[in-house]
Amino acid sequence: MLSPKIIALEEGWNNEIKAKAIDVLEEMLNNGFDQKSQRLFAPKEYVQTYTTCYNMCTQRSPYNWSEQLYQRHGETICDYLTKTVLPALRHQHNDFLLTELTKRWANHKIMNKWMRLFFMYLDRYYVKHHSLPTLDVAGLKHFKTLVYNEVKKDVVNAMIGLIDAERDEKLIDRGLVKNCVELLEAMGMGSLDAYVTDFEDQLLGSTKEYYARKSQEWVETDDTPTYLAKAEVALDAEKARVAHYLNSASEPKLLRVCEHEILELRETVLLEKEGSGCRALLANDKAADLSRMYRLFSRVPNGLPPMAALVRAHIEAMGNEVINRREARLEAGEKDSNQDPAFVKELLALHDKYMAVVSAQFAGNALFQKALKEAFVEFTNRDVGKFTNAELMSSFCDRILKSGGEKLSDEDVESYLEKTVQLFSYLTDKDLFAEIYRNQLAKRLLNQRSASDDAERLMIGKLKLRCGSQFTGKMEGMLNDLAIGVDHQSDFDQTVKEDKSKSLGKLDFAVQVLTTGYWPSFAAIDAHLPPEIVQCTRVFKDYYDTKNSKRRLTWMFSLGNASVKGAFGKKSYDFQVSTLQAIALLAFNADGDGAAPSLAYDAVRERINLPDEHLKRVLHSLACGKYKVITKTPAGNTIKNTDAFKVNADFKCQMRKIRVPMANLDESHNPKRVEEDRTVAIEAAIVRIMKARKTLSHQQLLAEVLSQLAFFRPNPKVIKRRIEALIDREYLERDPDVANSYRYLA
Amino acid sequence: MSQEGDQFEVEVKVAKMSELVKTMIPEEADEEEEAQEIPLPNVKSHVLAKVIEFCRRYAEEPMSEIEKPLKSANMHEVVQEWYANYVDVDQELLFELILAANYMDIKPLLDLTCATVASMIKGKTPEEIRKTFNIVNDFTPEEEAQVREENKWCEEA
Repeated sequence: MLSPKIIALEEGWNNEIKAKAIDVLEEMLNNGFDQKSQRLFAPKEYVQTYTTCYNMCTQRSPYNWSEQLYQRHGETICDYLTKTVLPALRHQHNDFLLTELTKRWANHKIMNKWMRLFFMYLDRYYVKHHSLPTLDVAGLKHFKTLVYNEVKKDVVNAMIGLIDAERDEKLIDRGLVKNCVELLEAMGMGSLDAYVTDFEDQLLGSTKEYYARKSQEWVETDDTPTYLAKAEVALDAEKARVAHYLNSASEPKLLRVCEHEILELRETVLLEKEGSGCRALLANDKAADLSRMYRLFSRVPNGLPPMAALVRAHIEAMGNEVINRREARLEAGEKDSNQDPAFVKELLALHDKYMAVVSAQFAGNALFQKALKEAFVEFTNRDVGKFTNAELMSSFCDRILKSGGEKLSDEDVESYLEKTVQLFSYLTDKDLFAEIYRNQLAKRLLNQRSASDDAERLMIGKLKLRCGSQFTGKMEGMLNDLAIGVDHQSDFDQTVKEDKSKSLGKLDFAVQVLTTGYWPSFAAIDAHLPPEIVQCTRVFKDYYDTKNSKRRLTWMFSLGNASVKGAFGKKSYDFQVSTLQAIALLAFNADGDGAAPSLAYDAVRERINLPDEHLKRVLHSLACGKYKVITKTPAGNTIKNTDAFKVNADFKCQMRKIRVPMANLDESHNPKRVEEDRTVAIEAAIVRIMKARKTLSHQQLLAEVLSQLAFFRPNPKVIKRRIEALIDREYLERDPDVANSYRYLA
Repeated sequence: MSQEGDQFEVEVKVAKMSELVKTMIPEEADEEEEAQEIPLPNVKSHVLAKVIEFCRRYAEEPMSEIEKPLKSANMHEVVQEWYANYVDVDQELLFELILAANYMDIKPLLDLTCATVASMIKGKTPEEIRKTFNIVNDFTPEEEAQVREENKWCEEA
């Protein structure tokens, strides 16, 4: 085995390691060197030292110097730090301190590296077997205790001084701060502890102070948009600062402190600032400023609710203005009608505008959607004048869907309907809207005034989407009746053609069957029909009964219409009239082939057997309207019981086909019916709830009923009356033991 | 460059298998960089040649991890054929390889050579081991009895 000569400790240390490596290294560190081009030790020099250490550590005991070398490695570093580095730092301040520290830290890293390389063999066995800190870590620790702990207070103050200077837009040496941050990170020995406790905590404190001062300045001199613009710039700058020279873990903490000082503490003042706060921005449509306001306050916990409350208040005020304007118009004497398209359009425009603001400026945030909704609920349910907003909206739809109403493209129709349905969704009395809408729909359908079947279905589909199929069941039923009606008619025509026993005489006869429940209730009018028509109705009834044995057929003459041919002199005309008008006209037909009779009012009534109110309207339409088919004596504009009537033999008109309009017989809708439906709905809800819960206090029951009713919001008194009615009918009883409580009776 | 001053030219990638050599080659160095002289005063030429042979082979076909404890006293059953043949050398060279591997800090080579020594011990009595490595028994019979007593667990296992 080869055994080179034993190296004694002091001999190896003094002659080799210290003289050829350590002294050289310290010399270079002190005098500077060209870091880039020059390697501090050439391989030859380095290997020599390594080999010496290696040999000294691999000699058999008692000549194994591992322990001694490890110790001297540490002592050398400590010595250098206390005797050379520390004195250099002692009397430095601010930038100079940082510059010097940066240089010394860089040097230490080099020294530490070379010291580790020289003594590398120790790391492999000696350090491991004795569980000691590795050479690298030991070197860092020495630096920490001897240098870092001595100067850290001054260093951190100097760093914060630089950062504050940069905040005030002074140019600073970012590299300097960055190097110090790197040192702080290294001093944590693998964790961020040193960085956090020695530096970050202080930085956060100074940041807080800085922005407390700054935001006070801003808030005193600037209006809200300017303040917020500055705030955003500052927040971006802080974020960039972290990216430039701080540890990335500081970003959330630093921004949090800034947000707290700049935004959270100033929020109320900023939002409510006179002339430039949230409402002022809304009033002046400052989209960009509103966006920024939203962006900034969304960063702050609970920053948005106060803003949303102001948005809500603003929209509500705008909406109330629209309502107030309508009220003022009515007070100024404008005729109150169920048509006020300008008003509805104003509401739609308002809704459009703020929906756009919510989605564009407020990122569709749920809080703001809720604010929009609550604001609209508040004023769309404020009715002024004789007609409810529900009716005005329904009439608006009627205008759009009616043929000959507004001239709109399909897209416009759809968009108006969609917007109206959105507005409708804010109504509390949805059932009232439904009732009015259904009546208007019935009229459109029966009078063939509906412009487009597709548009009707589209609208019903939209309502269904919002309120469920229960809400639109009847309306769909109505449309269906008409759709099947066409098939039924052709089937009926076919049957009549084939079966000679079923004759309709000379008339064209068509019947539309309406399912009772779907349609609004119409006044059934019993009139004496001319035999020709009686014959037809009989044929149809027979036909219908064979098809549907269990259904009852009721004739609604008031809804029908007819085309009647009349000969006046040489000319003959086709009159488009309602069934009742037709019956009245037929009454004036000459008996046999005598001349046209003159009939007294009573005689007419006897012939056709209509109640006065209807008969008068029918006669009015024929005798006092634009087309005077019948003459009245004496002439005049009202029908009196003493008048006499005869066919106007001199009737003349340019057109051959004439529509003779007549005032409508039915109410537009029956408010009582809504009331009745509500009674049923409330009672059903009470019974449903009590059946499930068995016993409930009055208040609980009230609350549950209100939560179950989706289409209207009844007065508690009304609910109480329904509860009493149910007690009378023995669905419920008052709890004998507990006051103000009810029990369900099975 | 070996103890005797003989030069061996080696690719950077192969040379870097020695942690010691690696510290002396700048990190960004690649194959094109001009040759650099690295003195290894503790390694003799014929040993260094053998070490380089190992490194070159290792760069092409890394040695499989050696399972511990050794599953066999036969190195052919422990590592690939080439490596088993590689350590089939006389004891003196084997020990020089161990020292060189330790000095140059080449872990796989150190593993392989030490495992080889271990395989030479495995399954042998102290007497046989002494014979294998030319060790003179310098225990007194009393000492030997005591050592045997202390290591009884070993034989029972």
